[in-house]
Amino acid sequence: MTVHPIIAALRRHKAGVILIGLQIALTLAIVCNAVFIIGQRISRVDRPTGINESNLFLVTQQYVGAPSSDTKAGADKLDTMELEDAAALRQLPSVAKVSVISSMPLLNSAWNGGMSTKPQAKSGFKMTTYYFGDQNMLSTLGAQLVAGRDFNAGDVQHAGFRTDAKRPVVIVTQSLAHKLFPNGSALGKTVYMDGSGSPSTIIGIVKRLQTPSTSDWASSFAYDSTLIPTRKDAFFSRYLVRAKPGQMKAAMAAAHDALFKVNPMRVIDDDMGIRSFASIRAEAYKQDVSMAILMGAVCIILLALTAAGIVGLTSFWVGQRTKQIGVRRALGARGIDILRYFQLENLFIAGMGVVVGLLLAIGVNQWLVQHFEMDRMPLGYLFVGVLVVLVLGQLAVFVPARRASRVPPVTATRSV
Amino acid sequence: MLKMTHLSKVYRTEVVETYALRDFSIDVKEGEFVAVTGPSGSGKTTFLTIAGLLETFTGGSYHLDGVDVSHLNDNARSKIRNEKIGFIFQAFNLIPDLNVYDNVEVPLRYRGMKAAERKKRIMESLERVGLSSRLKHYPAELSGGQQQRVAIARALAGSPRLLLADEPTGNLDTQMARGVMELLEDIHREGATIVMVTHDPELATRAQRNVHVIDGQVVDVAEDRVFSTSQLAEHSPA
Ligand SMILES: Nc1ncnc2c1ncn2[C@@H]1O[C@H](COP(=O)(O)OP(=O)(O)OP(=O)(O)O)[C@@H](O)[C@H]1O
Ligand SMILES: [Mg+2]
Repeated sequence: MTVHPIIAALRRHKAGVILIGLQIALTLAIVCNAVFIIGQRISRVDRPTGINESNLFLVTQQYVGAPSSDTKAGADKLDTMELEDAAALRQLPSVAKVSVISSMPLLNSAWNGGMSTKPQAKSGFKMTTYYFGDQNMLSTLGAQLVAGRDFNAGDVQHAGFRTDAKRPVVIVTQSLAHKLFPNGSALGKTVYMDGSGSPSTIIGIVKRLQTPSTSDWASSFAYDSTLIPTRKDAFFSRYLVRAKPGQMKAAMAAAHDALFKVNPMRVIDDDMGIRSFASIRAEAYKQDVSMAILMGAVCIILLALTAAGIVGLTSFWVGQRTKQIGVRRALGARGIDILRYFQLENLFIAGMGVVVGLLLAIGVNQWLVQHFEMDRMPLGYLFVGVLVVLVLGQLAVFVPARRASRVPPVTATRSV
Repeated sequence: MLKMTHLSKVYRTEVVETYALRDFSIDVKEGEFVAVTGPSGSGKTTFLTIAGLLETFTGGSYHLDGVDVSHLNDNARSKIRNEKIGFIFQAFNLIPDLNVYDNVEVPLRYRGMKAAERKKRIMESLERVGLSSRLKHYPAELSGGQQQRVAIARALAGSPRLLLADEPTGNLDTQMARGVMELLEDIHREGATIVMVTHDPELATRAQRNVHVIDGQVVDVAEDRVFSTSQLAEHSPA
């Protein structure tokens, strides 16, 4: 059987053809875009932070009745308290490493600024996030230094939360280094932060370190981080702790008790106070994951509905054409010829749906690009989408088509 | 051409067994024109569907064109139907979604014939039945007599050796019936073997040989003359 008689017969069943064709077109358009969105979300969630994420947890705590960090004496007092806390954590047998730090990747609590190669710049800043902390920052994070050196104890200073201390040395990520110095190594170069005239020397370059912000607006500088060896003294502090392998739970529990033993005048929130990095990551990408799940569900529902539509319409047609199937059998059609007829018929309807669907898919993507700053969908998604709906159609039609192929030839003489 | 010996056909439902044919023997020679008559429910259609390989039988033997067909699989039976047999049904059985041309083409496509050859045969057989000017018409746009002539063209297009017709004039008025009958007689004269089931005694007499079926059995011609139409009715199963 070739297509001509199939098309000829379909012309007499336009309503059904248009209905299923449109359903296939819509499914293709929506599924392509949904899968593209899922793919984008997954690649967002999957992008590396640049740190060693296992056995890592973050303690956030507040001192009760702490002095103001705006005075030198207050800042000194707070710094002593932080150092005591860090020392107590470091003492724990389940703990491998501790760093006093202002934030960490994916925490969505960030201190951002602009960096320039010129003093007192008014424009031309490169956006960056600042990580403040002690000399243990890099090693506790497990980020990889690719050039220069790590901070040592001598580099580290401390300053009140709102005090503008000098920042003689910094470490930056490779990504930021390339943006600041596109034509050569950034190592040893001088940079200026937030339009200040106070120079900072880049003493080390980190392969990769993601910023705390995971929102879309921060995606343009997602890997442009700067590490500053200054402990920021405030009424609250954060400690990044790397537990010994297999001792995360024990370390998290012990950390809580140890801190209260050092100084009971503090608050550690039950939920947000001591968090594993895994939970920070899950929180950061909660929306992306639920969006991906929603889109996935939409795809599955649409595909199921389309398959059901095809099964339904074809079953109806098979019922309607029982007599003519018997006649075709009487005239010499084999069972397989009847099966092929319905498979080809569906391929043809789906083919028309696919043509419309491709245009729709591109249109929907175009609309998303214009209104939601989505990326343009690569053609590969369309290609796979087309394949999926065509295969789905063939599978869906198979069940009623096989029933049709089993209509006995005697139906030609017996049925009314 | 068509030889059935002690053939039986039993329809089994959950409650009853119906012997549609029992000890049914018939021998139709190549080139014969046989009319099959008999009361309603006597097994005429059953005989024709078995003869046309539309259905299998329960016992006995059936040789078609010298071939024992009882062991053929479904595909082989389809091939024989397609190449050797032409069917004409009481209800015409044209495919409503296809126009006249495409209807006649159906069996030729199943034979895998080249387009040019198909076209030649379609045009020839439609000319034969006098409908070559109605190629683009759909069955619903034709009279009953015209539809049956398209069905005959469809049966003829494949040049079958055996033509099986089940009450081909049953749905037609007398004048159209006569036209169809004349067509069948022409076809017969050109060498085709024809087996035709009919209720019409007048048409039956125009065939070379009459076969009478009662209660699933062939009764011989001499006995045939004994029955009047009203007596025949009493033989039909309740
Ligand atoms: N599929 C079936 N299942 C059960 N019984 C059947 C079936 N088909 C036919 N029969 C029975 O077989 C017998 C012969 O039927 P058949 O159709 O061959 O009669 P017929 O001679 O063609 O009658 P008519 O002149 O009315 O067309 C009938 O008793 C009928 O009820
Ligand atoms: Mg009958």
